[in-house]
Amino acid sequence: MGHAATEAAFAAALLDPALPPPAGLTTARGAPDAKRFAVYRNNVVVGLRTALATRFRVVERLVGEEFFALMARAYIAGTTPTSPLLFAYGDDLPDFIEGFAPAASVPYLADVARIEAAVTRAYHSKDSEPLGIAQLAALPPETLGDVRLAPHPAATLVRSRFPVGSIWQAHQHEAVAPVSAPGGEAVLVVRPGLEVGVHILPSRDAVFAGALLEGAALGDAAAQALAADESFDFGAALVGLAGLGAFAGTVTIDKGDKDDGHG
Amino acid sequence: MNRQTIALALAGSLASAFATVAFAAPLPAEKMVGMEKCYGIALKGQNDCAAGAGTTCAGTSTMDYQGNAWKAVPAGTCTTMDVNGHKGMLEPMKG
Amino acid sequence: MPYEPLHASRLPPRAGVGFKSEHYADIMETAPDIGFFEVHAENYMGEGGMPHRMLAELSARYALSLHGVGLSIGATRPLDKAHLARLRRLIDRYKPQSFSEHLAWSTHDTGFLNDLLPLPYTPETLARVADHVDEVQQATGRQLLLENPSTYVLFEESSIDEIEFLDAVAERTGCGLLLDVNNVMVSAVNHGLDPLAYIDRFPVARVGEIHLAGYDETVDGAGDRLLIDAHGSRVREDVFALYRHTVGRCGPVATLIEWDNDVPGFAVLYDEARRADDVLAEEAARHPLPRRA
Repeated sequence: MGHAATEAAFAAALLDPALPPPAGLTTARGAPDAKRFAVYRNNVVVGLRTALATRFRVVERLVGEEFFALMARAYIAGTTPTSPLLFAYGDDLPDFIEGFAPAASVPYLADVARIEAAVTRAYHSKDSEPLGIAQLAALPPETLGDVRLAPHPAATLVRSRFPVGSIWQAHQHEAVAPVSAPGGEAVLVVRPGLEVGVHILPSRDAVFAGALLEGAALGDAAAQALAADESFDFGAALVGLAGLGAFAGTVTIDKGDKDDGHG
Repeated sequence: MNRQTIALALAGSLASAFATVAFAAPLPAEKMVGMEKCYGIALKGQNDCAAGAGTTCAGTSTMDYQGNAWKAVPAGTCTTMDVNGHKGMLEPMKG
Repeated sequence: MPYEPLHASRLPPRAGVGFKSEHYADIMETAPDIGFFEVHAENYMGEGGMPHRMLAELSARYALSLHGVGLSIGATRPLDKAHLARLRRLIDRYKPQSFSEHLAWSTHDTGFLNDLLPLPYTPETLARVADHVDEVQQATGRQLLLENPSTYVLFEESSIDEIEFLDAVAERTGCGLLLDVNNVMVSAVNHGLDPLAYIDRFPVARVGEIHLAGYDETVDGAGDRLLIDAHGSRVREDVFALYRHTVGRCGPVATLIEWDNDVPGFAVLYDEARRADDVLAEEAARHPLPRRA
């Protein structure tokens, strides 16, 4: 047997516990030993599960170690890492959780996972000076509505029907305090400097923040925000979001060659 | 409203936001520190958790937990939290 | 493309420890007298943020060893060019005194398997590993130290002894070797071999670094002792005795204390490093000149 076949059989048996150990393995006694092959299987599965538990600590605490281990196992079976950069493993665990029926009784679990995924992404993201107040103040007033702000590379917005920021915060300590916030929360994860910031946005600004981070022009984003909540305050929201580090220091202004009456 | 009217309304709103936060714009970036106290709610996480998983060249003697994921029931802190009426665990899934 | 004609390692002949970010504040505050720090390359392959800040501060104060875990040198598939480029960038940026990887594989068509998996030792795998090591050295511009693995199974098709395999790769590529003394103990016990004999046959002139760690212990299906390379405890006494013997053969060589699971406070790692430093100092006093070329 050539090495390619040996390796393929080894890899297949590692990931599928229903398969026997690959042929061609032996021991000093001269007979194969399933328990020895199981060490590798165990290293792979426990190693990946530990990687997920390290990144998704709050998710693990919410559902308990045993449930998390089984959920992680189901995820790992369908999603081995695509690269050796383990800190990126689990980027799509939130989507998996959303479709994982046994977790349906905890409907906020996927959004909590989205915060945790965003925090690690922000921690390792590209260093970038956020958009400053000076740059905002220098924008030409007559074309302000056409300005598009680039999202800061670390910024992620998680909008949830549940108070996931409060839930996340409650699990940063040994003892979990009761969560009293009703309704949903929009949580902005940023890293303007070296430290990751996690912020619950004023609820009336959630639509605006979401539209801007998806690349909408200021005028369109403001119109959407006002339609959702008439108490929306454009200036306060923009200065506030920029202050948290939501935007990168690049600004583009659309050419005003479309019809003049839109919006 | 045409684009220019909107733009000027936005500019006015922005100008008063600068005024309310008592800035004489333009402000240096370092003055932005502390802004987060004025806007939204800053949450405090454990910074070492932010790194996520590291690689390891070690094996483990911790055993893989074998069980049926489809019969498993969430049993952590979710069982004691009341989140928008979702209190505790519900029925385990059939299967 | 010629690469830097480096000798096996430029690490000082002292004990070092694996760097963990939870120890960063402690290290910056107390400036412990440590020979070097070693980091896993893959953990510093993000684009920015605190990991790079820590590595910059650390490498400004201490000698640095860059230890790769994800290159999959022993796999049949070609090396990942993007990963090689990432390694090159790290090496150019932080200029580590040593760069090492494993005689193992971890990447297959199914993805990255997150373990150092074993390969059979045959003329076919020897040729491929040598090609891969060559490619790594060309791509990074640095000499690589290749580490002996800890293994739990043997392959029927293996026809080359592990030491001969490592020696042949080094001979063909000019790479150095990283001698993991805990791995020697783990593999020797697991395969019924004499660990002292392994050390005595090892080509010590090629050794640029030594690793030490703690193993866990269980039994296999036949009831034989089975050691697991767990890196979650102090160096076991039998491994430490083997280490003394190793230093007696190699001379004083940079020695890493590895601790990756259940990582204790920095003081414990420092204490382990002191023990190894004492052995290195005794050996240096006995033989002032290193025996390596």
